[in-house]
Order: sequence, then structure tokens, then C-alpha cells
Amino acid sequence: METVQHILVYLILGMAVAYLVYKFLLPKSLIHGSKKNSKGCGQDNCGCS
Amino acid sequence: MSKNINVALIGNPNTGKTSVFNQLTGLKQKVGNYPGITVEKKEGICKLPRGVKAHILDLPGTYSLNTTSLDESLVVELLLNKNDKDYPDVAVVISDVENLKRNLFLFTQIKDLKIPAILVINMADRMSRKGISMDIEAMEKKLDTKIALVSTRKRQGIERIKELIADYKNLSSAPNVDAKRISPEYFERLQKTFPNEDLYKLWLVITQDVNFMPIEKKRIEDVTSFTTKSKEELKKLQHKETVLRYQFINNTLKETYKVDFLAAKGFRASLDKILTHKIFGYLIFFVILLTIFQAIFDWSSYPMDFIDEQFALASEWIKNTLPPGVFTDLLAEGIIAGIGGIVIFIPQIAFLFLFISLLEESGYMSRVVFLMDRLMRPFGLSGKSIVPLISGTACAIPAVMATRTIENWKERLITILVTPFTTCSARLPVYLILIALVIPKGTILGLSYQALTLMLLYLIGFGMAIFSAMILNKILKIKSRSLFMVEMPTYRLPLLKNVAYTVLEKTKSFVFGAGKIILAISIVLWFLGSNGYSEDFKNAEQIVNDRIEQEGLSTYSKNYIQNNIDAYRENALAEGITPEVIQDSIQSMTHDLRERAEAQEIASYKLEHSYIGQAGKAFEPVVKPLGYDWKIGIAVLTSFAAREVFVGTLATIYSVGSDEEETIKTRMAAELDSSGRPLFNLASGISLMLFYAFAMQCMSTLAIVKRETNSWKWPLFQLGFMSVFAYLVALLAYQILI
Repeated sequence: METVQHILVYLILGMAVAYLVYKFLLPKSLIHGSKKNSKGCGQDNCGCS
Repeated sequence: MSKNINVALIGNPNTGKTSVFNQLTGLKQKVGNYPGITVEKKEGICKLPRGVKAHILDLPGTYSLNTTSLDESLVVELLLNKNDKDYPDVAVVISDVENLKRNLFLFTQIKDLKIPAILVINMADRMSRKGISMDIEAMEKKLDTKIALVSTRKRQGIERIKELIADYKNLSSAPNVDAKRISPEYFERLQKTFPNEDLYKLWLVITQDVNFMPIEKKRIEDVTSFTTKSKEELKKLQHKETVLRYQFINNTLKETYKVDFLAAKGFRASLDKILTHKIFGYLIFFVILLTIFQAIFDWSSYPMDFIDEQFALASEWIKNTLPPGVFTDLLAEGIIAGIGGIVIFIPQIAFLFLFISLLEESGYMSRVVFLMDRLMRPFGLSGKSIVPLISGTACAIPAVMATRTIENWKERLITILVTPFTTCSARLPVYLILIALVIPKGTILGLSYQALTLMLLYLIGFGMAIFSAMILNKILKIKSRSLFMVEMPTYRLPLLKNVAYTVLEKTKSFVFGAGKIILAISIVLWFLGSNGYSEDFKNAEQIVNDRIEQEGLSTYSKNYIQNNIDAYRENALAEGITPEVIQDSIQSMTHDLRERAEAQEIASYKLEHSYIGQAGKAFEPVVKPLGYDWKIGIAVLTSFAAREVFVGTLATIYSVGSDEEETIKTRMAAELDSSGRPLFNLASGISLMLFYAFAMQCMSTLAIVKRETNSWKWPLFQLGFMSVFAYLVALLAYQILI
């Protein structure tokens, strides 16, 4: 029983860590692909195009 | 077999477009972003008569197809691109009965693109009050369309819209204004060069200021046989187009739309005078703010206490029911405590958005924007900056995105940099728990100190945003300013369904957006707090027992036992129990309390020597001058991912090893510093609140700022400047108040 409890804890911990890495550390381009945004807001230097 | 059609809802801002969308789609809607950009995309499904199913797209509000912002260019882009999967089979143009003339400008432009268009005239319930009468049949003929007279407030006319959409094939696609009339010679040449293209579409591609369709534009510019006119000449032609459109609209309305001005006068004008008055306007806004914060504290305390107790009970139940072990501990001390740290703030967040939504729906928020513009101009901010700053009270992320409506890049950059100072909903849980702990419960002029403190924190955030803008304005040397224009919608009773949608949507996004992060961090923290590598951690039980044997219980434990006994004695005497019985009970109680206190001391020692304890101790020298211990230090450190993690972190840290059914607040209130005083006292509490008011603790906001400025320079500047400033202010506050 104790082993099962340990396995469950490590499983949940792994999921939590993976989620945090995905959310904060993984570059967004790696998740969504490096699609370049072609839409600008009309400014030459705003950097959104 | 059912048929799917694409329907685009288009209209000027404040015409009730969202209400029409909500009533057409009900709950069958989803909110996302347009691919690659950060403009909100709302779509839904609506079942129509004769088995037709409509995919409804609620496009951003726009005054015309002459675009000035990304939101507006997105509307034009969709209407020009027949290959877009969302290209509408039919456009439903929503207008407001009181501003029909202005609304028809957009309608005629859409009609000229030869897209089948239906005109919806909303807010029909105001017609009699405003002295308006219309000849709908004649108007339909003049505009060559079908019209639905609707009142979303009274839920009237929605079925008519559905019928007209289902019947869209019978709609005329003929234009209202012949584009050739703008400049016959120029359009003749244009038509000859691009014989297969629609003239008005070509005209829009040529004249748009924004570079929203570079390929299309380039295609026209590359054709050597056709030369585009100079910018000045094109501007003149655009003016001519505007005049032609208004001529057409005036002719249409002259015969079909009448207003009895004698019947319409009065209320709105007098109310506007008061609400935007130089002195009374600000006073009224101040009183409204006070009422909101008072209500947030008073009304939500009951559901909050209830939720807090339920989570404490759930934790207790899990510990008593499941077999003992690490997983049971994780559930009771990590997961339940983590979820509790999120759910407990639902009432306050819901109340905050209820009020914001009521102010927006009633039309008052636009008056506030107007009022505040006057106040903010001397600080170098554009009037349009106010919208992101007000949105920032919900969350800095959409607020930073909302800066896209600001045309001037420098003004936009300043707004992006200062918006995170405004008090977002993630700061609210931190403030609420700290205020409840360190600010006394008294009142002044019927207003509680706690509500006033909360309001002060909001004002400090807003004030700091303005002050920083002023400094940035000087550093960045803004040369030009954009024109401030805000529409004053008519006052109306808030539509409860819309208010409910907003409250639900915002609360959901807090619970499921921030909640997942809080829960994940709670789990990691629980693990780090329940495990350790040092010998002290492994032999904690032995070490603490030896110490108790030699030195006795700690002062905290002795106080804990004494307080419980005193409380019991007081209650028992009040209930009339005899002193002998009380004495016997106290004897057996003391034994239990001592056991609990010993267990707490072991848990506390283990926590101190766990992974998280070691990390906290290493970080403690940095936060010690601010009045925080290593546990608060850990909460501050984890908050750099997201502020709302603070309460969840403390709840998890204080729960580790705790066997008692205690709420987060009581656990925090019971914490003592090294000199035996409450850890959360006025000085440390104020210092902590000020730290959270100014520090840049949100990785998502930093990521958005990076995306919006396309550089790491600005988010790093923000992080450095705000954090150092927050530290210094918190240090100063603690050293003065201690």
C-alpha cells in the first residue's frame, strides 16, 4: 500500500512539474511552431508585425 | 440535411452587438484569439429555421472600414478575403436606434462590398422615450436590405434576425453607393486594370493606412499600367466618399426616421453634466469606488468563511478516512490546501467583476474614461491609455493587449510599461488575507478601515502607474499625441444576462487559468516541504523529543495550550459547568493538547529542515529587513511566477504536518516571529502589501510584454525596475512602522 501511495505521489509531482515547465520555461515557439505573424498594427517600429 | 452558413456580426462599439450574439448563440459559444495575434475571437452556433445551422462570428466593434487599429483591420481583412474560412455568407450589421445615422456609414460600406447584409436596429425599446419613429418598410427599400427591429433588453426581435439569416439568399447584393461616383475617371482605370475584381474592395485595399494585406496591396502597386494616386489625392477622394455616403444616409433617413426632440430632451444631458463635472464627477466616482470596496469586504466574508471551513473539514475528512501514507498527506495538505487557496477568493473576484460589469453596462464607465482623461493628460498619457489601465484591474495580460488600440507607438509603450502597476485581480487575494490579518476591524464614518485600506491600495497602484508614465514620458520624449475620442453611450439599465456572463467568464478564467498554476505549485511545494536530505530532517522526531525533554515545550506551544485551556474554561463557566468538572476536563485536555503541541513542534522542525526550509533559510537574509521570515520569503519567491500563488503557498507551507482542522487565516494569525510577536503585524503586513503593490510578479505578463514589444529589453526593464522599487518601498515602510 505504501509503495502505491509513493508511486501516486511521484506521478502527480511529475505532472505538476511538467505543467510548470510547459507553462513557464518551454519557449512558446516550441509549443506552437515558429509561425511568423504577418499582421501589423500600423506602426513602423512597434514590433508587432 | 442541415446546412452550415457563416454569419458575421458587425457593428459600431456600444450598439449591443455582444447582447445580440449572446441571445443568438446562448451558451453555445467559445472565446479564443485570432491566429497569430491577440485580438479576441468570439464565435458560436445558432440553429435557424428550416434546418439551417449558422456559425456566428462576433467581430470586434468598428466605426467604419477605414481602419485605425488592429481590431478594425481584422474586420476589413475578413470581409475582403473570400478564401478565409470565416468569410461571411451574410453580414448582420448591428446598429443602435439612437445613433442610426453614424451606424449606417458602416452598413453602406459593407453593402458596397456586395456581401448580403441584414440591418439590425437594436435598443428599439427606447424609441418612444426618445421620441423616435421609423418607417421600416420604406427604409428597407431605400437601403435595399431587410431590417430587424430588436430590443435585446426585452428579448424582442431575435427570432426575426434568425428568419432573415436563414433567408439570406433572397437578400440583394447591390451596393448602396456606386464607387465610381467617388472619381469616375480613376475608378474606370482601376476597373480596366483589374476587370475581375470588385471595385470597392480594390479601393479599400488601396486606401487603408494599415499594412494589413501586404500581398494584395503589392499586387496593385506592381501593375505598371496602373498608377496609384498620391497619399494626399487619395485622402481627398476618401473625404469625397464620406460626403457621398452621408448624402445617401441623409436622404434615406429624411423620409424614414423622425425624432421628436421635445420628447427626447432632458435626463441624459443633465446626468452627463453631473457625472462628468470637474468636482462632482470625481466625488461621485470616489464614492462609487468606496461603496464597491466596502461591499467586496462585507458581502463576501460570509461565503469566504464558509468555503474556508469546508476545505478545512475536507482535509480533515481525507486524513481520517483514507489509509495513512504520503499520498493521503499530499491530498490533505497539498492538493486540498492548494485548491482551497484558489476557491476561497471566488466570492471577492465575482463581486469585483459584478461591479465593474454593472458600471460598463450602465454606460457610466465611458463617463469615467472621459473624466479620467482630463486628469491624466498632464502626466503624458493618452486618453486611450485609460482603457488598458482600467482593464488592468482585472488582469494585466488583456490590458497590455488592449494597448493595440493606441496608434502612437511611444504612448503605447508607456502604457504597456505602467499597466502592471494597476491592481490586478491576482493581487486581490494577497491584499484581502493580509488586510484581514493586520488591519483592525473598526470603522470611520461608517466605512471600515479594511475597506479603506483596500481602496488605498488600488489608488496607490493607479497613482504609481501615472507617476511612472510621467517619468517615462520625459525619458522617452514623446513628440506626438494621438487624438482622444470616446463614445458616450446612452445610460441604460444593465442587462443581467450580460453581467452574469462577464462575472462567470472572469471568475472561470481566474479559477481555471491561475488555478492550475497555483495547484501545480502547491503540489511541488508540498513535496519540497515534506522531504529533506539533511540528518536534521531525517532525525527530526528524535531531536525535538530530546529537546523537549531537556528544555520543555517552546513558548509558542505553551501559549497554544494555555490559550485553549482559557477558552475552554471561559465557555464552560458560561455554560454553568461546575469548577470541579472543569478541572477534571482540563487535566485530560492538557494531555491531548501537549501531544498536539509536540507533534506541531516536530512538524515545524521538519519543515525548517526540508528542501523548502533550506531554500527559505538561504533566502531569509534578503527578506529579513522587510520583516518577513523564511516562510514568507518562500511565498514571495514563488509569487514571481504569479502573484496569486502567495496565499496558496502559505496555506501549503502551514499545512505540512498539521493535523488540525484550522483555516488559512488562523494558521497565519498564529505565526510568531523570533521575539514572540505575531509575524503578520501592522509593519510586516503593510510592508508585504506594498511589496505586492509594486513588484512585477507575473511571468505571463512579462511574456506578453515581450511579445507586444518584440524585445526582451522592456520586460526585463519592467522586472528590474518594479522589483527593486517594491523592495525599497517595503523596506522603508517596515523600518518606519516597526
